[in-house]
Formats: sequence, structure tokens, C-alpha cells
Amino acid sequence: MARIDSEYFRDERSSDFTVIGTAVQRSDVLGHVTGRTEFMEDRTFPNLAHLKIHRSAHHHALITDVDYSEALKVPGVLRVITYKDVPENWYGVLRLIGIGPDDEPVLAEDRVLYKGEPIVAVVADSEAAALEGASKVKVTYTELPAVLDVEEAMLPETPVIKRAGTNYFVYEGHHARRIRFGDVEAGFAEADHIFEYRYSSAPIEHAPTETTGCIVVPQPGGRLLIHSNTQAAFFTLDNTALTLKRPFTDLQVKGGTVGGGFGGKVDVMVEPLACIAATMTNRPVKFVYTREEEMQVSSPRAAERIYIKDGVMNDGRIVARKIMLYVDAGAYARHSPYGATKAAAHLPGPYTIPNVYADCHCVYTNRTPSSAMRGFGVTIADFAIESQMDQVARALHIDPLEFRLRNAYRDGDVKAHRKVASGTALIEVIQSTAALVGHELPEEYRAMSSSTPRGAGA
Amino acid sequence: MLTEVHVPDDVSAAVRLLAGGATAIGGGTCVLPWLNDYASPPTELVSLRRAGLSGIRLHGDTVEIGAATTLAQVEHDDRLEDLNAVVRSIASTPVRNLATVGGNLFARQPHGDLAVALVALDARVTLVDETGSRELPVEELTNGAGLVTTVTFELPRPGTFRYVKAARRRYNSASLVTVAATVTEEEGTVTGARIALGGVGPRVIRAHAVEAALVGQELTADTVRAAGEAGRGEIEPADDAYASAWYRTRVFPVHLRRALLGH
Amino acid sequence: MPVRIVNLKVNGVDQAFMAKPETTLLLALREQLGLTGAKRGCAQGACGSCTVLLDGAPVVSCLVPAATVDGSAVATVEGLADGQELSDVQQAFIDGFATQCGFCTPGMIMSAEALLARNPDPTADEVNEAISGNVCRCTGYAPIVSAILDAARRRRDRAGQEATR
Repeated sequence: MARIDSEYFRDERSSDFTVIGTAVQRSDVLGHVTGRTEFMEDRTFPNLAHLKIHRSAHHHALITDVDYSEALKVPGVLRVITYKDVPENWYGVLRLIGIGPDDEPVLAEDRVLYKGEPIVAVVADSEAAALEGASKVKVTYTELPAVLDVEEAMLPETPVIKRAGTNYFVYEGHHARRIRFGDVEAGFAEADHIFEYRYSSAPIEHAPTETTGCIVVPQPGGRLLIHSNTQAAFFTLDNTALTLKRPFTDLQVKGGTVGGGFGGKVDVMVEPLACIAATMTNRPVKFVYTREEEMQVSSPRAAERIYIKDGVMNDGRIVARKIMLYVDAGAYARHSPYGATKAAAHLPGPYTIPNVYADCHCVYTNRTPSSAMRGFGVTIADFAIESQMDQVARALHIDPLEFRLRNAYRDGDVKAHRKVASGTALIEVIQSTAALVGHELPEEYRAMSSSTPRGAGA
Repeated sequence: MLTEVHVPDDVSAAVRLLAGGATAIGGGTCVLPWLNDYASPPTELVSLRRAGLSGIRLHGDTVEIGAATTLAQVEHDDRLEDLNAVVRSIASTPVRNLATVGGNLFARQPHGDLAVALVALDARVTLVDETGSRELPVEELTNGAGLVTTVTFELPRPGTFRYVKAARRRYNSASLVTVAATVTEEEGTVTGARIALGGVGPRVIRAHAVEAALVGQELTADTVRAAGEAGRGEIEPADDAYASAWYRTRVFPVHLRRALLGH
Repeated sequence: MPVRIVNLKVNGVDQAFMAKPETTLLLALREQLGLTGAKRGCAQGACGSCTVLLDGAPVVSCLVPAATVDGSAVATVEGLADGQELSDVQQAFIDGFATQCGFCTPGMIMSAEALLARNPDPTADEVNEAISGNVCRCTGYAPIVSAILDAARRRRDRAGQEATR
């Protein structure tokens, strides 16, 4: 194991760790290597029924007709579920923490906003019959123009695709999660150099090896037992109960080992429909994504587009930073309003900049809804910020590490969010990193310290 | 929807079932992925696993491979050194233990690298249907032509067979560009060239223009570059999850060069 | 719908079960025989989570119609340990911290067992090739490769000790 360097924080906490810094075996490893770990789909139930979905063929369209009569004729098909069978069809996963509006239907009603959006669920005796039934549903559409670009979506002339009236999430009356600190235009005016670059990322699919799914088993007393591979058992329970309009106590979620999640299994996509199907048929119902569904319709990490404009002095001090950030939420909000807020919380990076202006937009398009994934909001913002730091340093012929050290935040600095920084250690981390890789820093930079106020000493 | 799986013990039983509209599978690695996850018309499968079509025989320099021979059998057969490497470039061990030589001839591009090599080797297939059997060059094989029972070719002379497969990853990835060639030279001049390409079209492409540009020439950076230019007119690459058509067109001459010149 | 009785020798034990046309070897093992070590990750032969040994050779069991392998021998991860005594590969996976979520682990271990049965002293690159059909999306490949190399050493050491005994 690598040594834990506790030197820097020695005055703040004792380092008599007994676990950190040692190798501790996983508690579940024996089950993993013997194949006995129980994953969601490893449970089998007699009389199990299967649920499959008929999905939208278009990015954006009005639904003019849904004909499922042929599906019902497929041998083994038990029930067809449409939005009319969903007690509370509109939901938003963040309603549990008071964030709205509920903008997503469990099953599409009069329109679809992305290709692959669920329209009809088919429940059958076998997986094959459910697939067959779902393929027999006929949906008639009137196609609408699709909005596929975040900046295009924000233009006034672009058609509004959302029923709430804007192609972006509204943050307390504003078009974006904003940061206003100092006077960024005055900062640019006084700067010796202006640098502006554009950064963008593609959606990233978690691609967990175990696809998203659940098995819902009706209990003798009428409760529903949900075996799920969710990463968020209580989130799933509460959201499902709200969709079913049933008391939380009617449901029991049994989670367990998740076969890869990475943030991709927090969206509550399969449980509500499986519960409805189990209730309708009074049979255990399994709803598990195929690999194609996992890749095509489960929420990926959002694509982002980020513009960063910096005002920089000849000596390498950044005096102003303006950031326009666009999170492509896709068709529905899911966790993306929170992701854009996290991006704002992370700006302008771990640097002390006196003038900061940022608009972090959570934008709706006719793409697959994006959602949580490992540090979402922060990860791509960091990619952009640190790429910007490198590009600006090189343009000014300053060593990129020295450029960061000059601007690194220190204890006592007021950040753009008007919080006083404490426990900072960026300077020491960079110094240690430079030493580890043999990157020589001049004495002036080696002498810097996070606990020494800016301007004092070196 | 799968309605029946037949496992006939001999070829004539298989042929009878196929004549009745059933679908043949070797290892099932092309057909089962579809049947597992997608709705399909009522389908009867005929597995060739027990039909007596497995095995590799050499008569002198003539190689005869049964259609149900797995890719893994070819991979581990020391007599087929040139094809060992070809097969190792296809999928992964647990797939190669199922996938068959006959099945690979019908794999959709950008898969089917063994078929690319077999076209370059001027291999022939024996086809059987209810009317009897016939031979056909692999190059002319189409879906529905009949049941492939064997693949036959002459072992190439040492050093004349070339094969390069460019992929996103070193192992287990579909083709971006596959080049297979048998090139004979006399006193430094190309006297014969048979070149097949994968990954750059809806089917295996026999690169006639490339061959014509090389015959009578020495193999040099210049002549191979010119042959690559000539070949751009006969490839029809498509965009897919592995690469764009633009990229495939752009790197095709590079991999042709690597196949022919080794660098 | 025609149903067949299929006989298999699974982990050394004779088993028989009813197979529908769409019953793959994977589904038969999991749903008929209760051996859920092999996983369904893709049903496309692409992830390797369902890898078992069919007559000694690793295969993606999701692509094998059960009816086609009547009479074969199948080895799954459940058959590796002898009571509480784990196989060298299993123990090396534990000691080398080669698991994360655990979903790919059974398939990964079966591919490793097959490699070592054929090649007792593989290079790291040969290990990479042998597990190239097994996806670990937690991306713990480095400890997995180390563990397989470690297991190969253990097996060679054990064979050496038994030879000198």
C-alpha cells in the first residue's frame, strides 16, 4: 500500500488510523469468487411473468394512435399497460426533495420527446411472448422537428418541447444556476490577456455489466416486495409509492449487491411498471432491460458544452473568469437539475479569482434523458477548467503547475460562492505531485503554503 | 420466436429440415443474439453441431475444413499457421469455441474476417441442397445458396499470405479495415495478387483494382500507395459504432501497406 | 411448444431438465438447475459474464441452445471449490483484491481456469487475450490479470510439490 502522508494535517487530526492505509478484505468476496453472491436476477419465482416495452421510434412526435389489439392476440400475453393504467403518470425523481415540476410520464401520453421513450408495456408468460407482444403494438405518429443541440434549444426561435414552457430548467425564477461575484467585465478590462476556449463532451453510458431490472412479488397481504438492483433503495421505494398512489408502507424494497451501477441505477425506471403489472396479474413480474435498452435508453452522463473566458495578468494571476455551461439533460429532468447545480458549486475550480460570472444551464433536448454518473456536473467541469489552465499557461509560457500554484486557493480566501475557504491543500498536493514525478519547482513555489495568506511571505 | 431446435445427426437430415424453411446455425453466435432479445417470426433452428461436419483434413497441400469446425479448432491446428492468426483476430475465446468456419462465411460485415482470408486464399465451398451438391468459390457465396458442408483451399506457399486486421482494441473487436492477400513474386516483381478486404463494405470485397495495380510491379512504398489509391474506388465503407466511413477510407491505404510491406 | 429433456453432466453430476426451444444453456443452468453463478449480462455473447466450460472449453452459455448440447459435460464456477477449499484461481482472486461488484467474477474465473488448463505458464499478454471476452465494467482489469498470473504460479508450485512428494 502507498504510504499515507499525514504530515500536512498533523495539527488538525490524529493519524492513529487502524483501517486507512491498510489492506482490508471485502466482506462479500467469498460469494463473488464462488458464484454464490445473490444478484437481483439470481432469484427465481414460480409463475413468473415478464414485462417488455414498446418504445418510441422517433425523437419528437405526437402520438395519434396506439393499437395494441395484435399484441393481446400473441399467445402468452397477459396484459397491456398504457399511461391510463398508471395512477400518477407524471413524476420527477427529485420530487422527494421538493424539486419540480414533475416533467416525465411513466408511459407516454399524447407525445414522445425522445427515441426509445416507453409508450406501452406488455406483460406475458414468457420473455419471448412479451417481446413478441411489444413488437406487435402499432403506434401512429405525427413527427415534430427535433431539438438536438443545447445552444439551439436556448434560442428564442426554437420550438418549446416541454410542457412547462421552457427548454431549460428554471432555478428559482432564473434561466440557469448562476454565480455572480465581483465585476467580471471590469476584470476583463484590467486584464493584460483574454483567453476564451470551448470545451465539450459526449454522453457516456455507464454500461453496467448487470442491466437495470427488478422482480416484483405480490405478497399474501397485498404488499409488494420489490427485488431491485437499484443503487438507491429508499429513493426507489418512495418514488414508486408516489407513482402508484399507495402508502410507502405498502412496498418493501429488497436491494443487495449491484452488478455495477456508477450512478446509472438511481432513476427508478423499472419498478413502477413492474409493480403495476404485478398488481394487475397478481403474479411475480420481472422487468429487466436488455443490453440494447441499457445502452440506448438508460440515462447516460450528460453531454456538456462549456465556454470559459479568462482575464489574466502578465504575472499569471487570473483576475476574471466567465463560464457559460450547458448540461444536455435530454428530454426529461431526472437528476440533471442537481447536476448543473453541482457544476456551479464547483466553479471556478480551486482557484482564487476576484471576479467570477457563471451561468450553468440545465437544457432540455430530444435526446435520451441523462442523469447521475460518478461526480456528474463536476467531472466534465473539471475537465474544462483544468484544460483551460493548461492552455492559458502554455499561451503565457508559464509552467502549468506554477500557473496553478499562483492561483491556488488558500485558507481564508473568499470563494466565488462567498464561503471562506478552509482545509485547503491544493498547494501541497501540487508540490508533492511535482516532487513525485521529478518536476522541479523553483524555490518561490516550493515555499508556498495553503495556510499562509495570499500576499504574505512568498 | 423460436419454435423448435433440431439437432440432426447427418447432413441429409439437416438438408431436409432446411428445405422446410428452418435456419441453420453453426455455433449460433450470429443468430442467437438476435433471437435472445428481439421479436422474430416463428423460427426453427437446425444446429449442425452433430451433423458430422466438423474436422480439418489435409490431402497434400489441399485443406478441407468441415463447415461446423469451430474457429477454436482452426486456431489450435499447427498445420494451418496462416489461419491461426486470422482466427485469433476474431472475437474472444468463449465465442471462438462456438463459432464455426461455415458460419463465419455468413457473418455480417464488419465481422467475418475468416471469410476475408478465405477469399484471398481462393477457397471454395461445397454446397448441398435437396437437388445434390455443387462447388462455388467463397467469393460468390450468397445467403440462401444452400448448406455449406466443407471449405476447401490450397495451402499458400510459405510467405505469400498476408493478413492485417485493424480494430479499436488489440483483442475482441470488430474490423475497421481487414486486408488479406496472397501475393506471389518472382525476382522482386509481383506475378500474382489476390486481395480481399473486410470492414470497408457491406460484404467482403475482392480488390480487383488493387490487384491490377500491383501485378508487374515491385512492392515498394510508391507502388503500394498507388494500389491503395486505386482501391479507394472499390471500397464502400459505412459509419458504425467502431469507426466512421471517413476514417475507414482514410486509413485503408495504411493497412494495405502494412499488409503488403509489413510496416 | 415442443419441449425436450436434456441431459448434462454438470460439475460432475448427471442432471436432466426440460428445455423449451428458447432455453439457452445459461437459462437452463440458472433457472432449471439453480446454478446462478453464470450471469446474463448481455445475452449477445459480448460480455462473458455467462462463461462456463462446455466439454472443457469456455463458451458464452447465453448463445448455446440447450437442446444442442444434450449429453455434454458442463463446468461452472460453483463446481470449482472442493468443500471449503477454493481453487487456486478463486483464492488468488481473493488475495489479489481482484473483485469489485462481482458480476463479472464467475465468468472471469472460468476463462482463467480454461487458460491455465491449456497454458500453465501464461504471460500477462496471454492472460489479456484469454479474458478479452470478459468485460469488467468496474475496470478492475489490472488486479484480475495479476491474480490470474498469481494463480498460475500457485498451480505450478503445487504441481512441483506433488511431483517431488
